[in-house]
Order: sequence, then C-alpha cells, then structure tokens
Amino acid sequence: MICGKCSKNHATVHVTEVVNGVKKEAHLCEECARAAGGKFTFSITDILANLIEPPKGAGKAAEAAAPRCPECGISYTQFKEKARLGCPNDYEIFKAGLLPLLEKVHGSTQHAGKTPHTVESVIRKETELVRLKRELDGVVKTEDFEKAAELRDRIRTLETELNKGKS
Amino acid sequence: MTIDDLIQQSGEWLKGTGPDSDVVISSRIRLARNLSRFPFMTMATPEVRGEIQTFVRRRLEEALGARRVQYFPFAKMATIDRQLLFERHLVSREHANGEGERGVAISPDETVSIMVNEEDHLRLQVLRSGLQLEQSYEQIDRIDTDLEQHLTYAYHSRFGYLTCCPTNVGTGLRISVMLHLPAAVLTKQIEKVLGTLARLNYTVRGLYGEGTSPIGDLFQISNQVTLGKSERDIIVELKNVIPKVIEFERVWRHKLADDEPRKVEDRVWRAYGLLKHARVISSEETIEQLSYLRLGVYLGIIPQVPMTILNDLFIFTQPSHLQKIQGKVLEAVDRDVVRAEFIRKRLAAL
Repeated sequence: MICGKCSKNHATVHVTEVVNGVKKEAHLCEECARAAGGKFTFSITDILANLIEPPKGAGKAAEAAAPRCPECGISYTQFKEKARLGCPNDYEIFKAGLLPLLEKVHGSTQHAGKTPHTVESVIRKETELVRLKRELDGVVKTEDFEKAAELRDRIRTLETELNKGKS
Repeated sequence: MTIDDLIQQSGEWLKGTGPDSDVVISSRIRLARNLSRFPFMTMATPEVRGEIQTFVRRRLEEALGARRVQYFPFAKMATIDRQLLFERHLVSREHANGEGERGVAISPDETVSIMVNEEDHLRLQVLRSGLQLEQSYEQIDRIDTDLEQHLTYAYHSRFGYLTCCPTNVGTGLRISVMLHLPAAVLTKQIEKVLGTLARLNYTVRGLYGEGTSPIGDLFQISNQVTLGKSERDIIVELKNVIPKVIEFERVWRHKLADDEPRKVEDRVWRAYGLLKHARVISSEETIEQLSYLRLGVYLGIIPQVPMTILNDLFIFTQPSHLQKIQGKVLEAVDRDVVRAEFIRKRLAAL
C-alpha cells in the first residue's frame, strides 16, 4: 500500500479515527506519520527513555544539578531523552540512571561474556566467578549436588587466586 | 573485487547448502564494538567520523589483511551501490541510507562484513547459509580477537563491551536467524509461534511487509538480551529453541499436504505458472509467489527447481540488483517488466 499523503513511499502506519461517528482511515509512511506530529509512531527510544530514572529532585534546579559528562559533554537530560550514550565514560557518569534500564531490558547489570585480551586477567576471573555463581544457583535449585560441589570447588579456587592478586 | 562483481556471484548464504536450509534461510551473528578513545557516533563531529574511519580502516587492513576483507568507503559511493549492499544483507538499511563518513569491509565470499560508523564504531557480522550458529560465532570471534590486538575497544569490567545504545551493551552480540514458515502462516499457527518466542524474550519480525501482515512468510528471530549472559549461553539457548520451530514448521507442511493435497498443489503450481509466464511483476508479488514455490520444492511437488535458483530469484529481483544487471536506472514500472523477464529466463533455463 502506498502512503496516502506523499503517494511515494510504502505505507507502514495505519490509523483509524472515529470523529463524530464518522470513521476515517489513514495509511501513511514512517516519514509522513512522523511529520503528522509523531503521535502515530511507536519508537524504541521513547520506551527506553521511560525506563531511565529522572534526575533526583524536581524542576530546573534538579536538571542543572544532575551530572554532565566532562568528556563528551552530554547532560543527564540529553541522555534520558535519547536513551543513547555519548561516549564510553557515560556508563560511569550516568550509572545510577542506567541501572534500572539495564535491569529491565537484560534482567542483569553484570557482564558475563568475553573479555578483551588487553584487559587484565583479573577481570576475566571476576566475570567467570559471577557466571559460576549463577550456574551454582541453577544447579542448587535442580538439586544436582554433585555438580554443585564441583562448582563450589571451582569458585573457591578462583576466589583464592583473586585474593592472592589483591594482597 | 568491486561492487559490480557482486552481480556476477552470490554469497555463501545464498547457496542454500547449510544445515536445515529447507526452513532456515540464513544465520547472522553480529558484534557491536566501539573504540575507547573516541566519542560514540551520537557525539562524533564530521571530523571525528572521518578520523574514526581512517583509523579503523588502517587497523582492519593490518589485522585482517586485504585477502580477508576489502574496504568500501560510502562517502563517494553511488546510492544504487549502497542499496545493493543492503539488498545483499551486507549492511543495514540505516547504514546504506545514512550520511557522513562511513563504510563497510567485506570478505570475498560475503560471509563477513564489518560496518564502520553505523550506530557503533564497528559492527562485525557473519552471515551463513542455514542454521550455523556455532560456526558463525567462531568465525566472528576469531576476527574480533584478531582485531583486538590492533585497537583498544571500549570495555567496562561491569558492563562489558560498551555500546551507544544500552540495549546492545555487554556481549554486543545479536543473533538473527531467518526462517521460512509458509505452513505455519497458511494454517494460522504462526501467531502461536510468534507469541511463544516473544514470551521467551526473543524478537520476531517479518522480513518483508509491515508488522501484522508480513509477506513471503519470512521471519527473523533475534535474541534481545546481551548483558548478563555469556556468548555461549546466548547461542546454546537459541540452539535449543530454533529446532523446535523448524520441527513445528515441517510437521505442519506435511499435515497441510496430507489434509488438503489438491489445495496445496494448486497453490504451488499457480505460483510456478505465474512466475514462469508473468510479463509484469512487482517485488512484493515475487516474494509472495517464491514462498509457495519454495514450499512446493520442499514437498516434492515441483522437484526440478534447485534451491540456489530460488535464492537467486529472491535476491536478484530486488530493485538495485535489477538496475545493476541492466546497467541503467529504471523506474518502478519498468523494473516490474524487467523483473518478470529475468524470472522467466531463469525458470525457462531449467
């Protein structure tokens, strides 16, 4: 179906409105739907933005007091509106606001995957530790005690290694 | 290799030789990566974008060599060529239509593509025929590890690989499996499949057509979670889910053929007849009829059409491909004529 407004693009937004008992249908392309005020579009950014906590307090003062990244310069408000980060440093700067979003989207706030070789082996061990502990929770639930004992041994070894590194 | 060479070949994923390729068209794995010493794309000025591209391009050449990938900058590339890369599934629509300094590195067999300056500084992708999740991950992981010796990624001990959008953070891993589910659609079982997958936190979308009425019965299933699970866990989970969908589709294909053989045969032969003889055909109609033809080949109703031809017809009948083959710009109405002719010739040669 072709967009009823520009007659050029493929219509992907379909709207039915009932005004004074008269049914009106509109078939628009993304662009025209957005131009119509954005009320017909459904975007992931809007949803994500809603998952980020507003700055603590209220009004302009709270906005001004909220953190701003010294590296890339984006403010908390900009981060919240777009739900996008401006630079790697923002993950630290806006951590408090990000955590609820990460929890909601991923069900976790802790990485458990690959680590670059350039990063110290300590981090790799810590990640492995988190993964093993999660696995342990799982096998305890299913009462696989043999596997649980094996996992506990591996966790203990890792923890000893990590503690040695610290002293 | 030039963009025009792509017209003379078809990528690995189009050969239709991968495991379970009667239902799974392709497996795609991508990793989102950013450099530690540059701002993300949202805050990159045109100068910085240029700097990132120059830097990444040099590192790619150092790490992988010209034999493994070739880089294509987009700034001066014709729109039709960028569109062709999109139709080939080598770059995203946004990357093809975007602005500013950006580009893509592609391997000669088209299994690897590395987008530079898309939403993240780097988007590494492997695309293979059929269901090949482990093989695809191993391939992309090796490239990622090789690349990592030559540049420093933005990485955080708690959050993993840092990405511009928090939905990709952690592993930066997105697996997308493209499935052909005509029987599930015809028997109206598809809603059940899609609903179940959504409850398991997978994103499913129609490849063509809009939200509720996808055309061609092609669906893409992707993982949503990228943080808190290892790459291996994400792959294993999907590896347990996809075969269930494949089996479901196969069972319903046979049930359909058993319950209503005349109806199925009629639909398949009509599709074959239409594709073989039409004089004017849109890309929507092509995709739709190819879906029935593919089903007919699977059920042995029309055994003489090889999978490679079906895949070729599916890719080469897209707007940019047709125009490249013809060597000239064509309006939509003219494309429909050229498309019909292209399909007739391919099917007549069998």
